[in-house]
Amino acid sequence: MGNPILIAENLSIAFGGVTALDSINLSIGEGEILCLAGENGSGKSTFVKIVSGVYAPSAGSVAIDGGRVDSQGPRAAISAGVQVIYQDLSLFDHLSVAENIAMNRMMHDGSKLVKRSTMRTIAAEQLARVGVELPLDDRVSTLSVANKQLVAIARALSMDARILFMDEPTTALTTNEVKRLLKIVLELKSRGLSIVFISHKLDEVFAIADRITIFRDGHKVGDFTAAELDEESLSFHMTGRRVSYARYHRQIDDETPLLQVQGLGRTGNYQDVTFDLRNGDILGLTGLLGAGRTELALSLFGLNAPDSGRILIGGKPVSIRSPLQAMEHGIALVPEDRKTQGLFGAQSIRNNVSSNVIDSLLGRTRLIDRKAEQALAVATVHEMNVNNKNVDTLVQNLSGGNQQKVVIGKWIARHPTIFILDSPTVGIDIGSKQEIYDRIHALAASGIGVIVISDEPEEIIANCNRVLVMHEGAVLDRFEEADLRAPEFKDRLATIISDPEAHVKHATAALTTITPGDQR
Amino acid sequence: MKTSPFRAVFNRRSTAMEKYLLAIIIGYIVIVALKNPLFFSVETLFDMLRSGSGVMILAIGVLIVLVSGGIDVSFTAIAVVSGYTSVKLMLALGIDNILFAFMVSIVVGCLLGAINALIIYRFNLPTLIVTLGTASAYHGLMATVLGTKSFPTGAMPQSLVNFGSTDLIVINSDTGRYGLTVFLPIVIAVLVLTWFILYRTMLGRQVFAVGSNEESASRLGINIFRTKLFVYAYSGALSGLMGIIYFSELKYVNPVSLVGTELMIIAAVVIGGAKLTGGEGTILGTILGIVVVQLFQSTLVFLGLGSSWNDLFFGAVLLISLGVMYYRQRIQDRKNLVFATA
Amino acid sequence: MNSIARLVARDKNLSVLLVMTAVTLIVLITLLGGRFLSAGNLQSMSSQVSEFGFLALAMGLAMLTAGIDLSIVSAAVLSGIVGATVMSGQLVPITASNSNTLMLVGILAALVTGMLCGLLNGLLIAKVSIPPILATLGTMILFTGIGMVITNGQSVPIAISSYSALGAATVANIPIIFLLMVAAFLVVGFMLRRTRFGRRIYLFGENDVALRFSGVRNDRVIILTYVSIGLLVGLAAVIMVSRVNSARVGFGESYLLQAILVVVLAGFNPYGGRGRVVSVALGLILLQSLQSAFTILQFNPYVKNLIWGSMLLLVMVVNYYVARWNPRGAAPAKGPGTTTVIPPESAPSAAAETHRSPDAVSTGGRAL
Repeated sequence: MGNPILIAENLSIAFGGVTALDSINLSIGEGEILCLAGENGSGKSTFVKIVSGVYAPSAGSVAIDGGRVDSQGPRAAISAGVQVIYQDLSLFDHLSVAENIAMNRMMHDGSKLVKRSTMRTIAAEQLARVGVELPLDDRVSTLSVANKQLVAIARALSMDARILFMDEPTTALTTNEVKRLLKIVLELKSRGLSIVFISHKLDEVFAIADRITIFRDGHKVGDFTAAELDEESLSFHMTGRRVSYARYHRQIDDETPLLQVQGLGRTGNYQDVTFDLRNGDILGLTGLLGAGRTELALSLFGLNAPDSGRILIGGKPVSIRSPLQAMEHGIALVPEDRKTQGLFGAQSIRNNVSSNVIDSLLGRTRLIDRKAEQALAVATVHEMNVNNKNVDTLVQNLSGGNQQKVVIGKWIARHPTIFILDSPTVGIDIGSKQEIYDRIHALAASGIGVIVISDEPEEIIANCNRVLVMHEGAVLDRFEEADLRAPEFKDRLATIISDPEAHVKHATAALTTITPGDQR
Repeated sequence: MKTSPFRAVFNRRSTAMEKYLLAIIIGYIVIVALKNPLFFSVETLFDMLRSGSGVMILAIGVLIVLVSGGIDVSFTAIAVVSGYTSVKLMLALGIDNILFAFMVSIVVGCLLGAINALIIYRFNLPTLIVTLGTASAYHGLMATVLGTKSFPTGAMPQSLVNFGSTDLIVINSDTGRYGLTVFLPIVIAVLVLTWFILYRTMLGRQVFAVGSNEESASRLGINIFRTKLFVYAYSGALSGLMGIIYFSELKYVNPVSLVGTELMIIAAVVIGGAKLTGGEGTILGTILGIVVVQLFQSTLVFLGLGSSWNDLFFGAVLLISLGVMYYRQRIQDRKNLVFATA
Repeated sequence: MNSIARLVARDKNLSVLLVMTAVTLIVLITLLGGRFLSAGNLQSMSSQVSEFGFLALAMGLAMLTAGIDLSIVSAAVLSGIVGATVMSGQLVPITASNSNTLMLVGILAALVTGMLCGLLNGLLIAKVSIPPILATLGTMILFTGIGMVITNGQSVPIAISSYSALGAATVANIPIIFLLMVAAFLVVGFMLRRTRFGRRIYLFGENDVALRFSGVRNDRVIILTYVSIGLLVGLAAVIMVSRVNSARVGFGESYLLQAILVVVLAGFNPYGGRGRVVSVALGLILLQSLQSAFTILQFNPYVKNLIWGSMLLLVMVVNYYVARWNPRGAAPAKGPGTTTVIPPESAPSAAAETHRSPDAVSTGGRAL
């Protein structure tokens, strides 16, 4: 570690009586890449927001090169050399690339007027530092996510940043884009920039971090070198407990497929996907961003009409054009984005639970039977073990894990025969995760077919008895229960997910009879 | 590399909405001209310029608020309140000077706009609701304190009457005497000034940034309050300016008129391509939007249709334009699996 | 004490409104006594509030779905014009024998026109995806335009005297139109609380995407909502025409902003999903009482604007502080542009694959 550039001492902050950060001590050296790891709600983002001047700490201090920067607002932090690239990138979609990059610097220079030539010069210079070329006059909204990411980096560099925070920078990137980004990050480090990298993807963390600092519940657990940690110990430090999830084994003897997907395709999303789902199956659908998993799930739920292939349920071809039709076929979908697709935030747990079963709650008068509704909600809350048993509680006041339990519970209330869960445990605590896994296992054991979409190898291994790996819209590989039981399978799966290109080459070399659809 | 300062103006790519509006305007003019060649006269042009000036100034105020991501329905109330306050003050003090009139009116407008900004920012309230409340409150306060007495040409300050009658160029023809209104240079000045602020100053770019994404803007260290204060105060000042022009043009001071036309003017700006979601909107689009409204208002007679057809025409054009714009967006969203609305 | 705290916590806005209305009524009754409580004043209050009540209710429905309907007044005027044209004797000469039939046809024509106007709004919003505020801004101008073309800006007089009598008729000294409005409030209130459709209105306003993911056909919810609004608007038109005995473009223009004002005052969230019919009723009582008091005191009629505007701002500001006063930590405010400091990471939304374009995200509530 070089000279410490940022020193945080006894940093604490509380919101409405709840402590979000408690006496954090942290220092970051010049030219160091520090990884900040922790579960959702562990205080990582809060820490970043204090350092960047968005929040004022209730106690403690942050100093950069010896000068205090906390409690003085974003401008002071920026002057001191702090730059943050937020997960949403914080760009201005309606402004040009050049302007997005240069605005920060021009504001900081105190310019009152805008000179286009200056703006373009600044932008071109910064893009050159990142080593890319982008059309300066195009609106940012027209760029791909990866290019937006680069604009955000260029903007951050324009301020002669000393220390750069990157909050989950790779979540929306494809494999190649991630590689390019990591290369740029390493290059910036070699020029003396300190980087704080917040990521939940372990392979990335291990690939670039000099040091890993772990937060849990607002406390700092400790500093580690990449060599000191492995996946298991990292997870232990993050969650505070050693968890080993029970694995699922299919016990049903019935081989009749419940759902058959045959050569299904949707232009631009995925193509030639074929698989069967029997009752008692938990099929894992995995792959990175852009693999087409979610798009496929939406097609099965009537929200993304496929343009080739067919879907059979109980052996009969079906056409699913709307969620209502999907539900009539016994399909349920727990959507990927809980907040915007799954929950009615400011409505009660009761109204959330009854939202998709309201028809069955209508009495003879066609009015909502409020007693039945209440009973259903109470039953669901108990079955799913939601921590707040008062069904009048607004779901927005629940934790992520309990919110997800409500969403899953509302679909279980419909007694689906085919249950699709898209990224069911993103952003939820470890306890809830365990309970949700148990529910999934029980559901499948009761004889329904489950599809779990996830990019976490651990989640796939714990839950699935079959796995389909997708890559750029095609099925890259598939594994049966026997494969999954192999001792090193988890690592193998992790490698395939994080580097599907290599697997493509490997697979093509090994198999000469591979079907065209599998290669793309 | 030396570039002309106007290069940006001439080389800019027109937005789809601007092209679309331009096509409507040209098509409409051709139809009207074919039907009735009398339409092509200096008289019609001068008439439209005179009656459109005030509205144009208000529309610019609307534009800048929309760009900042807000919506303001208090601007007509502010125009009347500032104009009437100014007139009352002139009558009370016996100062009959057009510059004084403008000064008072603009200052009052600016203050009322600043109050809007203060409430919106301090209590983090929806702009539509706040300006709805302040519009009522401002107008009611004026009526309570200053009354609602109208002043006909003879009773109002003479300087306003004179100013309204001032022409830059006068053309005498056998059908009468037509003058090019003195309001024109004021409108042009407002347009140029607003263009300069919006596109050539950091403040203007910050207005776009705040409208584009307020959270990002504040992360960048943009002072949200100062930006909003400017937006609403500027819009208020323009309303104040318009108040005096309005009374001068009509040569009649009626403090209960004008209020109620705000939605029509917002519609004109929206048809010009400004989005209610902020960050988008152009001055050219706004001009074209106002031109469409003014065209229908003053030229349907040439088609043999009474003025009662104005609203029908404008409403239809507005709905069709919006329909085309949003239906495309809908198809795009469906394709990209964006589950926005309905 | 504890139960009061619980009530306040359950519906703060309603509590604020209740207190304000009670205080206002007490002050007015103490100040004006008999003049305020006289049968004549109460009757004129209840008849004045009636037509407006329907419009406010209509606006409330729109706002529950996170929309707004700027066309209610112009649709009401258009419906009134259509109804009045039937009853004016212009189309069919009125005789003693057909006047009752014509009256019925006229009323039906007004109601159907209102519903057609609502249907158009619903289609534009649900099928063309124009944001409600813009769709209804366009139809507002369009409906006025159609009304202008039909009437040429002239007033359409009613030639059936029994119809005009309807507006003034009373049962047990209570105006019939007031009873009609009370009935409408009860029906809509019941519909919202107890029917599937009512529930879906709230859920749609809260999160239309989640409703779609719950297997509900959103377009039907929206179209049905706006047709219902159209029916309420048609009823308002029927009452309006019978009260003033004619219909013309430009009537009741000030009602539009007042309707928005009452509904917001009543605690409806402009971003949808929250609001209660009983609050609208309270809001109407509050404002109508103030208005009548000012008439009794012979204030300048424009004082009303001052009172209404200030009331709206006052209630919003009081709500702002009440929302902050919460021993267990305030729930984050709903809506975009919220810059209040809320505990971070409390609602994790990290979705691995982001399909939403930034535009789509920002359309959430920015339409207002």
